[in-house]
Amino acid sequence: MSRTIPRAILGAAALVAIASGLWLAFTSSPDVFQGDYVRILYVHVPGSWLAFLAFGVTALGSAGWLLTKRMAFDRIAEASAEIGVLFTAVSLFTGMLWGYPVWGTFWDWSDPRMSSTALMFFVYLGYLALRRSVNDPIARARRSAILGIVAVVQVPLVYFSVTLWRSLHQGMTVRPDGIAMDGSMVVALLANIAAFTLLYLYLMVERVRLARVEEIAAVADTELAGRTVAKPNLEGLS
Amino acid sequence: MSRFWTQALAIARRDLIVEGRSRETVAVVVPFAAAAVFVVPFATDALDVRLATLAFPVYWLVGLLFGMQVALRQSAMETPSQRRQLALLGVDPVARFTGRVLSAAALVLVVLVVTAPLVLLFYDPEPIARPWSMAGVLVLFALGLAMVSTLAGDVTAGLATRTSLAPLLIVPVSVPLLLGAAQALESVVRGRTTLPWVLTLVVTDLALAVTGVVTARALEESNT
Repeated sequence: MSRTIPRAILGAAALVAIASGLWLAFTSSPDVFQGDYVRILYVHVPGSWLAFLAFGVTALGSAGWLLTKRMAFDRIAEASAEIGVLFTAVSLFTGMLWGYPVWGTFWDWSDPRMSSTALMFFVYLGYLALRRSVNDPIARARRSAILGIVAVVQVPLVYFSVTLWRSLHQGMTVRPDGIAMDGSMVVALLANIAAFTLLYLYLMVERVRLARVEEIAAVADTELAGRTVAKPNLEGLS
Repeated sequence: MSRFWTQALAIARRDLIVEGRSRETVAVVVPFAAAAVFVVPFATDALDVRLATLAFPVYWLVGLLFGMQVALRQSAMETPSQRRQLALLGVDPVARFTGRVLSAAALVLVVLVVTAPLVLLFYDPEPIARPWSMAGVLVLFALGLAMVSTLAGDVTAGLATRTSLAPLLIVPVSVPLLLGAAQALESVVRGRTTLPWVLTLVVTDLALAVTGVVTARALEESNT
């Protein structure tokens, strides 16, 4: 009970923040060139930010597991990777939705940010597929920790791709010399980034808790009648 | 020669001897790759112009997919008991990784070298001004693909889903190799400098080598 209340508060806060962020997104000024299509970016940019954050946390969780062998780190890595893949998909989808009216195409192969984000998406799909392929928790944690650390190399490459290579994609909006955006748009963007981050925290807490429950259930299955006796398969029997 | 290289070359030699006996690459994978090169034109209207433009993409794609198959086969050859034996004998995991990469790269090169004349014959692409200048690119591509495949083979060793999971891990990571090699060939054909693309391959290979060295011990632990 004592743990349920903070989780509920965090969930409610994330919901309120998302609602507020969306309200700001729909009421902020339209862009001079993009018009109302700019509102898609209030979901697209936070989605990308969360993907980077989530994959960074996956790498930290992976490193934590390799150093300490504590399963809590593996659960964090797993939860964060799943959320990261979800938000990478959100970022790709909203990017394509925005690209069609503004660039005239859903997908542009000459844009390194789009291509590298898609590659990152596939690598982390592979990470999740790997996790589902290994039954032994220790082997799963070790193999996925290695991949989790190796895969994170892509995050800076994706982020800096717009400056490293010639790109159709918009450059960095927030730079050391200032922010290239109208005030109300900056507020809406930052509010949505904060709201999505809160949502990420809530999803992390819930997913890590679920992973813990899954582990307990897996142990309970093997220890039901001793490790040498398998649990009876009752599927299909009424 | 240092102990490291003695071990690495012994592992590479062992893998190549096993391949020499089974002849799986030469007798199965290379003919399959040749068949793929031959079959692609049937998916087009087989006009000469279109085939010429398809030549190099088909070559690299066949090289990637079949090279990956060869390299993965190499990494699957070691049984868990053999891996344990090597670990107990004190074979350096990095030397083991290096040896397996060297043998896999040699076999990937066989696939690339055998399919090249077939692509030239069936697709009639634009002439390559300095074909010898592609030798280094082929070696870098083969080494990179061998490293990615060996790493993915180790990460998925012993899994029931290995044959489908390993390619899913390899293909996205191989994109810089594909990009570097394909653009280097395009640069040779157009008479431009290949340096940026050769550097792309070198940097990718170095990054993969560092990854292999850093993770070799942890991967050995997970597979023994």
